[in-house]
Amino acid sequence: MPQYLAEFYPDLKDPRMEASVVVFHQRFSTNTMPQWRLAHPYRYLAHNGEINTVQGNRSWAVARGPLFRSPLLPDLSDILPVVSLTGSDSQSLDNMLELLLIGGLDPMHAMRMLVPPAWQSVDMIDPDLKAFYEYYATHMEPWDGPAGIVLTDGRYVCCTLDRNGLRPARWVITKNRHITVASEAGVWDYLPEDVVKKGKLGPGEMLALDLQTSELLDTKRVDELLKSRHPYKVWLKKGVRYLQTDLIDPRLAAEPFDRDTLALFQKMYNVSAEERDEIIRVLAEDESEAVGSMGDDTPMPVLSKKVRSLYDYFRQQFAQVTNPPIDSLRESIVMSLQTQIGPECNIFAPAQQHAEQIVLSSPVLSQRKLRQIVALADSGVPNEFIDLQYDERLDLKSALSAVCDQAEAAVRNGKIVLLLSDRYLVKGKNPVHALLATGAVHHRLVKTGLRCKCNILVETGTARDAHHFACLIGYGATAVYPYLAYQTLFDLMRKGALKMEAAMRQELGRSYRRGIRKGLFKIMSKMGISTVASYRSAQLFEIVGLSDEVVGMCFEGSDSRIQGADFADLKADADYLAKRAWDPAERVEQGGLLKYMHGGEYHMYNPDVVATLQSAVMTGNYEQYLEFAALVNKRPVSCVRDLLKINPRAAAIPIEEVESESAIFARFDSAGMSLGALSPEAHEALAIAMNRLGARSNSGEGGEDPVRYGTEKNSKIKQVASGRFGVTPEYLINAEVLQIKIAQGAKPGEGGQLPGHKVNDMIARLRFARPGVGLISPPPHHDIYSIEDLAQLIFDLKQVNPRALVSVKLVAEPGVGTVAAGVAKAYADLITISGYDGGTGASPLSSIKYAGTPWELGLAETHQTLRANELRHRIRLQTDGGLKTGLDVVKAALIGAESFGFGTAPMVALGCKYLRICHLNNCATGVATQHNVLRAKYFIGLPDMVVNYFKFVARECREIMASMGIRSFTQLIGHTELLDMLPGETSKQRKLDLSPLLANSGLISNKPQYCVDPRNEPFDKGAMAEKMLDDMKGAIASGSGGEFSYAVNNFHRSIGARISGEIAKRWGNHGMSTAPLIVSLKGSAGQSFGVWNAGGLHLHLEGEANDYVGKGMAGGKIVLKPPARSSFAARDTVIMGNTCLYGATGGELYAAGTAGERFAVRNSGALAVVEGAGDHCCEYMTGGVVCVLGRTGVNFGAGFTGGFAYVLDMERDFVDRYNHELIDINRVSPEGMGIHVQHLRGLIEQHVEATDSAWGAQLINDFRSYIGRFWVVKPKAAAIDSLLENLRRAA
Amino acid sequence: MTDKHLQFLEIPRKDPDKLPIEVRTTEFREIYSQYGAETAAQQAGRCIACGNPFCEWKCPVHNYIPNWLALVNDGKLFEAAELSHQTNSLPEMCGRICPQDRLCEGACTLNDGIGAVSIGAIEKYITDEAFKQGWKPDMSNVVRTGKRVAVVGAGPAGLACADVLARNGVTPVVFDRYPKIGGLLTFGIPPFKLEKDVVEKRREIMEYMGVEFRLNVDVGRDVSFEDIAAEFDAVFLGMGTYGYVKGGFAGEDLPGVHEALPYLISNINRELGIDDAALGFIDMRGKQVVVLGGGDTGMDCNRTAIRQGAGSVTCTYRRDEDNMPGSRRDYKNSKEEGVTFLFNKQPIEIVGSDRVRGVKLVETRLGSPGPRGRRIPEVVSGTEETIEADAVIIAFGFLPSPPDWFVQQQIALHANGRVRVSAAPQHRFQTTNPKVFAGGDMVRGSDLVVTAVFEGREAAQGILRYLQ
Repeated sequence: MPQYLAEFYPDLKDPRMEASVVVFHQRFSTNTMPQWRLAHPYRYLAHNGEINTVQGNRSWAVARGPLFRSPLLPDLSDILPVVSLTGSDSQSLDNMLELLLIGGLDPMHAMRMLVPPAWQSVDMIDPDLKAFYEYYATHMEPWDGPAGIVLTDGRYVCCTLDRNGLRPARWVITKNRHITVASEAGVWDYLPEDVVKKGKLGPGEMLALDLQTSELLDTKRVDELLKSRHPYKVWLKKGVRYLQTDLIDPRLAAEPFDRDTLALFQKMYNVSAEERDEIIRVLAEDESEAVGSMGDDTPMPVLSKKVRSLYDYFRQQFAQVTNPPIDSLRESIVMSLQTQIGPECNIFAPAQQHAEQIVLSSPVLSQRKLRQIVALADSGVPNEFIDLQYDERLDLKSALSAVCDQAEAAVRNGKIVLLLSDRYLVKGKNPVHALLATGAVHHRLVKTGLRCKCNILVETGTARDAHHFACLIGYGATAVYPYLAYQTLFDLMRKGALKMEAAMRQELGRSYRRGIRKGLFKIMSKMGISTVASYRSAQLFEIVGLSDEVVGMCFEGSDSRIQGADFADLKADADYLAKRAWDPAERVEQGGLLKYMHGGEYHMYNPDVVATLQSAVMTGNYEQYLEFAALVNKRPVSCVRDLLKINPRAAAIPIEEVESESAIFARFDSAGMSLGALSPEAHEALAIAMNRLGARSNSGEGGEDPVRYGTEKNSKIKQVASGRFGVTPEYLINAEVLQIKIAQGAKPGEGGQLPGHKVNDMIARLRFARPGVGLISPPPHHDIYSIEDLAQLIFDLKQVNPRALVSVKLVAEPGVGTVAAGVAKAYADLITISGYDGGTGASPLSSIKYAGTPWELGLAETHQTLRANELRHRIRLQTDGGLKTGLDVVKAALIGAESFGFGTAPMVALGCKYLRICHLNNCATGVATQHNVLRAKYFIGLPDMVVNYFKFVARECREIMASMGIRSFTQLIGHTELLDMLPGETSKQRKLDLSPLLANSGLISNKPQYCVDPRNEPFDKGAMAEKMLDDMKGAIASGSGGEFSYAVNNFHRSIGARISGEIAKRWGNHGMSTAPLIVSLKGSAGQSFGVWNAGGLHLHLEGEANDYVGKGMAGGKIVLKPPARSSFAARDTVIMGNTCLYGATGGELYAAGTAGERFAVRNSGALAVVEGAGDHCCEYMTGGVVCVLGRTGVNFGAGFTGGFAYVLDMERDFVDRYNHELIDINRVSPEGMGIHVQHLRGLIEQHVEATDSAWGAQLINDFRSYIGRFWVVKPKAAAIDSLLENLRRAA
Repeated sequence: MTDKHLQFLEIPRKDPDKLPIEVRTTEFREIYSQYGAETAAQQAGRCIACGNPFCEWKCPVHNYIPNWLALVNDGKLFEAAELSHQTNSLPEMCGRICPQDRLCEGACTLNDGIGAVSIGAIEKYITDEAFKQGWKPDMSNVVRTGKRVAVVGAGPAGLACADVLARNGVTPVVFDRYPKIGGLLTFGIPPFKLEKDVVEKRREIMEYMGVEFRLNVDVGRDVSFEDIAAEFDAVFLGMGTYGYVKGGFAGEDLPGVHEALPYLISNINRELGIDDAALGFIDMRGKQVVVLGGGDTGMDCNRTAIRQGAGSVTCTYRRDEDNMPGSRRDYKNSKEEGVTFLFNKQPIEIVGSDRVRGVKLVETRLGSPGPRGRRIPEVVSGTEETIEADAVIIAFGFLPSPPDWFVQQQIALHANGRVRVSAAPQHRFQTTNPKVFAGGDMVRGSDLVVTAVFEGREAAQGILRYLQ
């Protein structure tokens, strides 16, 4: 709290204390408890944001310790590791910066190296500058993440932003020669006329001030200084060898395996026919990962009775809330897989020999590249071949030790490349799993200080899908050669089983690698990581089901909470596979991991389960339900909860004494499933059923038809997800709960996708999109890059609909409890913890399989953390993921949940047969399709079936409660003492330790273990908004409109939302448009100015605004103009922050100034005129018109599928700045485009009229000179003549 | 071009063409024609490859149905045949005679109104067509173990067991008391459902695979079990059930009353030109025939009698139409061919003094479910009637018929005569004599061919483990 600063640091009060620079930071404590050791600034820097890559950075800082040498730092051995491994991410970054500064670098140099801009994929970069970054990239991986960093060493003061520009930085220079850089505009009260200049930093930009020379250095100047210090380009040219292959590498497998050898390898490495056909083949045929639907209903590998891949024990970590995922598809410009091979050298002694590296474009090797690398042994890159085969009589641990010994000795002997290989099978020997070997060798080399002298290459049959590669790289592999995947593909080609053009077959390996690369980008971006260098060795996995013995030797430092398989178990698995492999009578396994198959992996929604449930709900016969419940409750151990048994502590009571079914129904929600994924019939049947029960249905992310509002078909929970489809003020006020979907169990850290064939006219109307065009929800919410942002969104929602509870949906992973505590402090009312097993309408199969952890772990952690922080009573806790029976509900309650989400089970009740074809629009049961015939003729679902299902579940709950002697449901919540651990059925299960789930952290139990507060009221009461509403109430009620004026400040957040909510409640989105409330405001508006703006609200702001202006706008008008007496040039000056008009569906915005990054992202109907915009403008746009009267940043129009834009291109370089994938540009010319010329001129005239824009007036004045500089930007699929026609029709 | 994903809607289910009634009722030829390659591909392409393959789940041998449908759709006939044989030793037979409407096709997701994929017809197409094009099981990887196993009974269980053993390098020697292999496949199932050269083709294939057949050998009579046990490393018994369920009413012994199986066998003997003097030929030409029982065997008798030129054929069943166990397809074909069905009728007496004159029936209605879940028919008193008959065929099902020598071989039975197996879980289908395994009808009671195949295959796995 700033008011205590003077008390804590009395020296700050001393009048003799003078400073020319102040660096400060006020934090929102997302950690469980605010602690002084986490206070900013650190020694040199203050950091707003997160370092997503910190785990990898720390790992490399440790490994690199022995390499740092400088005359100024003769001996570092006393202070190793050089960065903190336990403090905050900012602290580690500060440590590293301090090391570099003490070692002799200046702050600009150090920061550009640590947090570089995106340079690999940028075409237009200066070659010398590129060389600077490339040189240092071989010695330091990026410290990436949403980062606004300010720092000073006393001489230089710098501010820098991450490559994605995910944190805002606004600066202002006033006449008193003060320069202020802050993450918001308007942080102190300068007079408008005192402003000399204002601006913002863009992605990857730096602003520096030399206090000695008083020189202000912008990005360009900084880069010029840095690149000219050494002849980096010359060094690289002499030192770097690029391994390029010819475009076509026909020798996919130079020595093809014969069929028997292939079968031997496939059996040894557990490749099934299913994996071959559904995963490997698709990667090559489609150059991307296979897509599937529904969830993962198989046991975690440690619970399975089958031999599962070691990789299956590893769950990909993903960013949620406190740090964002990034968008590897639409913002690929920041992504890179560039990989180099060679020893690392001392960073403080730049020299040409340090540039002697081999550079690969990707860590996925072709055979040719591997051979080239091996051949380099003759030219100074010696390698060591390490055979992973070991005598089957040895134990696995000794075998691993031997591998590590060989590796260590080799590096000591100067070997630079270690090639770990399981390629040469010998009968009587078994392969050490490549992942065990990679992890063990990496850790051994780090411990012995040798890691940075070598590179680990892995030649393995175990790597086939992107997750496999991610694991190997994440535990230290530099590059991977997946020979068995190539051999398998070669065989498919040989058999004629590949559906590709003959010409494409030549490039089979390349196609496969492209698919893997996309998958790797996706996996990295889930953690918000842009470059593979930062991902390598970062160990971004949670291990579920390996013992400490294994983790300690191979994966030290990874999260692993419940023990499990040890070396003996893994060896037994390998022995089993080897025995089958060498037996020619044994066939390659058919599969069963993706789909149910007799004799294959157990599936929790197998045909028996589905069929019995359906017959029970159709007949309404509880006996039949019990058959279903018995199938589920007595299945082979498949979930963590299956190893927990209820242990009643009281005598049974008559069931009549247990609380009623209807009280229990109120705890049931249906999980978010969008209209779009589901047919309208299924979606409505579900809503009706839940409403009849007194439970709640969830709209999912796809809007809802307004005719359903106020009826039995209304969804009480309205979802707000990253695509913001159909999120209008009217939608929001027709909800009891507003759910922010941060992540989804089936694919956490990723966006959604609705394939084009499911977007029919109705879906397009509700989502404000174009029929037939696929819709993608971005991986991040573009307005949530931090917990503060989430708090802001929660506030936005509570402003527009104060009666609604706000819920935040998270997915279980280590640390979710901390995130949840932050979410509770951000004033959410409800938190959902989803398990990995949640369903989806469409997702890459590898996401369904490999991300997210069991909800049991996440729920327990969350419940415990919330209790420890005395937050549990303030917030409702829900869980979902594979819940099927009353027993599931009771166990979830005992672990800590008070509310329960059901997705798949009610779908099955409606006729879904778990076909896993939702993404194909051909659901034969009519549940998950928009196909008219299938919906009309074959959908059999009735609300009663769902009603029956929930009645059964509630009845079973009551019976269990009666048997436990429990009367009231709240007596269950969090009472883990009523659960006992079962011993387990298999060797691996018996080694699990579930005590962390059942621990109550030694907390005294008199605090409520469930929510008792009616709602979680924000600290900010929004007094200004309440006053405005008071003033306008009459005008809204009568629909008469009126004029009002106010002064605003930047702590007035979400201005307008409160009024828009009231308007929408009375008049809907547009009902008041004809008699608007005209509100004049002066000053610097806080975040989310004009959010969820409804028709009939016109906001005129003289001053400036921050992020999220007009977000979710449905109608009305927002006008921004600079203060009347400003002396700066408005057209060059930023007037609003980032992510404005996000998800807007209508209305108009005029701004006499420029906008920040991601302007009009996911715009689907608003009209906007601005005078310049940052990067990623019009991203994901599906409708509306955007007119930019000035320069735009890079990556304009990525994912742009509807609406159109006009862009003024004075520098004639727009062609390099737009994303060419989906849009094309046409020059506006008077010939043949008269109607567009007229339209554009009209827009500029309206702009001038609204804002008094000087630039706009000049354009109109000399319109003929400027007209040729304008582009019309439109989706490739749209005809230019149709644009205005569509616009008229939409209006 | 049709949308691949909507092929199931755009192309309706099409069964292979049937012979016209007038032709098929006069001959003992199979009545279904074969798909052409294009139709087979199209029909196979109707499969939507469910995430939950209900067909495979319901199939007693758990055929990889969606997978081989996809291969047929892609024109990969030999691969489909290879895959089909991974789970089934006699796919061409199962494709013909399985009651698919109660198994795979009944469970097919598309069976809810859209029209199930014609799985049976495609299964038959795959193997028939692959054989025609010269495909044979790939035995190149088989490593001979030198072990030899005697298989008693060349019916579906025995053949399936021999198939799996041969593929695993064990030499099976199959004994059968009949002159041809197949057991009921040859002698029980009428040729209009399964032509006998299909079985002959299978014999050829199995001999190619290294299976030795010793026919016309009745174990226990022509050769002693001790000799077999001494000669072989293990023995599999798949001897079927040849006892008959009796009606237990008056007149069952009258001339003109026949058990179903001798009737069917006599007909097939005649078709195959086998002369079995003991059995003779039972001819229904011109007779008023009443078939008692609504199971698959009853249907076979009905349709055999029609083809023999019976004057009329009436089939009685004691439950209603919906509860009749016989395959829907056979029921439909029987009706088409002119059989009259009487439901809810239970015979209480066969009337006549020197020979059959008629059958006395009483009406029934369905009462409460019995121990196995099926509703038990109750007699409605006062509803007796007699229908005229010159011949009556009793098709009430089969009972175990264990030979006497089981006792001294320590092969224990259940109370109802079924062979007791799998006491120790590690050797599935092992009898109480460790060296002897058994499967099929003699273990589970009279059941489908496909369940016998399954048990024969499972028993082979048990034997392989036993021999290790």
